[in-house]
Amino acid sequence: MKLILEKSIKNRIGYSLPPDLFEDISLEDCIPEYALDKNKKNLTAVSEVDVIRHFTALSKLNYGLDDGFYPLGSCTMKYNPKINEKLASLNNFTYAHPLAPQETVQGNLEIMYHLNKLLSEITGMDEYTMTPAAGAHGELTGVLVMRKYFLDQGKKRYKMLIPDSAHGTNPASAAMAGFQVVEIKSNQNGTIDLSELERLMDKETVGLMLTNPNTVGLYDEGIVEIEKIVHGKGGLLYYDGANMNASLGILRPGDVGFDVVHLNLHKTFSTPHGGGGPGAGVIGVKKKLIPYLPTPLVDFDSSTKQYYLKEVGSKSIGKVRAFWANFPVLVKTYVWILSMGPEGLYKASETSIINANYVLAKLKKYFKPVYDRYCGHECTFTGKEYKKYGVKTLDIAKRLMDYGMHPPTIYFPHFEPYAEETIMVEPPESESKEMLDEFIDTMIKISEEAKSNPELLTSAPHKTPIRRLDDALAVKMAILTYDDELNYQKRQ
Amino acid sequence: MRYIPNTEEQKKEMLQEIGVSSFEDLIQAIPGHLRWQGKLNLPPAMSEMEVEENLNQIAQKNFNFSQMKPLIGAGAYLHFIPEAVKFLLQREEFWTCYTPYQPELSQGTLQSIFEYQSYIARLTKMEVVIPSIYDGASATGEAALMALRLTHKNKVIVSQLLHPHYFETLKTYLEPHNTEIIELPYLEGLTNLDRLKEIINEEVAAVIIQSPNFFGGIEKLEKISEIVHSQGVLLINVIVESMALGILKAPGEFKVDILVGNTQSFGLDLNYGGPYNAYLATKKQYIRQLPGRIVGETVDLDGKRAFVMTMRAREQDIRREKATSNICTNHNLNVTASNIYLSLMGTEGLYRTSLLNTKSAHYLENLLLKSGKFERVFTYPFFNEFLLKSKEEIDKLDKKLLQNNFIPPLKIYDFYPENKFKNTLLFAVTEVLSKNVLNKVAQILSE
Repeated sequence: MKLILEKSIKNRIGYSLPPDLFEDISLEDCIPEYALDKNKKNLTAVSEVDVIRHFTALSKLNYGLDDGFYPLGSCTMKYNPKINEKLASLNNFTYAHPLAPQETVQGNLEIMYHLNKLLSEITGMDEYTMTPAAGAHGELTGVLVMRKYFLDQGKKRYKMLIPDSAHGTNPASAAMAGFQVVEIKSNQNGTIDLSELERLMDKETVGLMLTNPNTVGLYDEGIVEIEKIVHGKGGLLYYDGANMNASLGILRPGDVGFDVVHLNLHKTFSTPHGGGGPGAGVIGVKKKLIPYLPTPLVDFDSSTKQYYLKEVGSKSIGKVRAFWANFPVLVKTYVWILSMGPEGLYKASETSIINANYVLAKLKKYFKPVYDRYCGHECTFTGKEYKKYGVKTLDIAKRLMDYGMHPPTIYFPHFEPYAEETIMVEPPESESKEMLDEFIDTMIKISEEAKSNPELLTSAPHKTPIRRLDDALAVKMAILTYDDELNYQKRQ
Repeated sequence: MRYIPNTEEQKKEMLQEIGVSSFEDLIQAIPGHLRWQGKLNLPPAMSEMEVEENLNQIAQKNFNFSQMKPLIGAGAYLHFIPEAVKFLLQREEFWTCYTPYQPELSQGTLQSIFEYQSYIARLTKMEVVIPSIYDGASATGEAALMALRLTHKNKVIVSQLLHPHYFETLKTYLEPHNTEIIELPYLEGLTNLDRLKEIINEEVAAVIIQSPNFFGGIEKLEKISEIVHSQGVLLINVIVESMALGILKAPGEFKVDILVGNTQSFGLDLNYGGPYNAYLATKKQYIRQLPGRIVGETVDLDGKRAFVMTMRAREQDIRREKATSNICTNHNLNVTASNIYLSLMGTEGLYRTSLLNTKSAHYLENLLLKSGKFERVFTYPFFNEFLLKSKEEIDKLDKKLLQNNFIPPLKIYDFYPENKFKNTLLFAVTEVLSKNVLNKVAQILSE
């Protein structure tokens, strides 16, 4: 498909502006020569109709959650309720300027205040900051809080323990916060090796970052011992909330002893992913860590009956972004929690766990589970056994597209010798049994195709707008803009 | 629950297929005493009708902002957004999809990002564009970390006219790396270049300059670039009000090394401060140190043009603790919003909007000066934001403005507590304030 820049027709316009009534002001009088561009920036020239058609056509090249099954593991692709969108875009919210006087934004502040209380109850934490823009941003914020806590006590702890099964963001966030990352191997049960933890957790270690259920979809059975070991040696426990969808009303990270929790509101709390954000990565902490949270928090003054932005104080890690939060994402979360109620939240986790175990039970004859035990809200298989037919996990994933489904997460988690060629399926509560049965039947069919006609898989997909891509060529050509492409054509 | 399709009967059936008698059997791995037994203490579930009423009531506790016009910017600007932007953005194919890891099912998002990278490269005359970091502040932090990696030095000079929130964020990002931050003072509303000459040396990794700066002043980037590059130091330029690019020379012309551009002004709602978006642009030679995702062009098996996330060997999911950044989910949907916005505006529309901003802002400044109630604190060239000192107590002005449906300008003293800034306001004027409205503002403020 042509780029919108290639559709440009001289003198065509797609905008409208009121007339310029400032004839007596000249641009040259306002802007000094050293800064004024003599030329207009060359973008494009298309009509509104062209734009509508172009982007509508582009949208049809995407596969969205409303199109069908989207079982990306660790991504929690659950239904995004439509009422959330409407209420997050009420005019009084969308037109609210972040520096408007606080008495004019009492509605915004009230939502932030109450959401803090609701999330604290759901996770067993004492206080949330709404500031972080995404999960990884929340991780960075959380580990900076941990760092500051120890610095404040005059303790130098410079190492962070992270399981080999963790998301790549965990070690990357810890490194950004200046920590040395120490990896802990998973044991044959897919969980943390306790003797390794005992050995590695020392007085120079700030703590452990843990996902529970972990990225293989398993609850860590050793959680009580883990808590004892880390806290016993004066460390802190960080909870990666990417997989919180298995725990609503079932297991509160705060009760386990986690000191910091981040939640991906765009996963468990139903807000859309938007093709890679915006989401929000709010973090909750225990009381002793509140003084270190990014500033400001939201509080309520009972004498004036006003909500207000409260500076955190001199121990705060400072700011991690401009202004306060990804506010509409908070509204969507708030609306979702109100719509679900306590029973609905529990039901969500219960259903997603049953869904995942159902897929596990029905598919394990065809695809070997990485760990053969009951899983949380996602289940992980390996495609290793199909290698003898010349078929990789990637091929299985691509073939699923021909059946109108989005593939599961593949090649993650990856840690040897247990998790290789992985296929991680997360069927959240918004997926029906019929949908799961269709998926299961399709996977079985693909497993048969892998044996009888492997080429069908290795050349898949066949029915998508484009076929498989040459990734290496993208790196080699390094065409990153339209002008790069024009230059590249000239060189050829 | 309407978002959970499975019925009780189906649940039983599925448990049976799994081979357990109850749900509890599936979560035996959770130690009994940790298993949450009670009911969460949350409000009971509301119907759609009830929740809508509830939220409408809360929203009404805000002022009626759609009837109000801001005279404030300071990092968030109310520009007109054509309806087509919001209409197209609501297509579920853009809204509900995941990060485009599977290019065969994501060409819409990928091509849109590529188009945006192309626009930004043309607007800024920079070679490479990372389309999405969360916002200008976090992107400034990322840019500084990138400069440290590129130079293996650990000192940065930062203009005091960098947006204070950006400055605070930058400090947070650099603090764990023990980076020395030297503040560069200002003079007459612009960064003090004589001072820059005095303090810069080869030990400095980068100099960070916002232009237009926090006071709205247009910095002398050419001179700054000469000074900075003469010492072999990297120049990081930050643009908070991207609309200025419609008329100002592109940063690439000044040999800027790393450019941070906050793009809230390109089709994004105010939304009480987020989600906005920022790009990070640089030279091709620095590509390996860039944080975040980038989209490149390639072909599929049939030789058809297609787009894909590329140069991924820098990223956290591959490099883990050795990655250039931890960023994963970014603000991609806002990239598409800005792409649609820039497509509609086109060459001519962006220029004219930018022109209208310049003229409107200068018109209001002139009116207020003529009223005799305001005076300049500095004389400096500006785009659409400017400082004026009121001869009256500004709290009174606030009230008058709010009563007349205007969001008051920023009290600059709140961010720069210096005596000379008492009763000084930072005004922002965009195209949404017509000449008539500006006359009214001047009238209210000079009564």
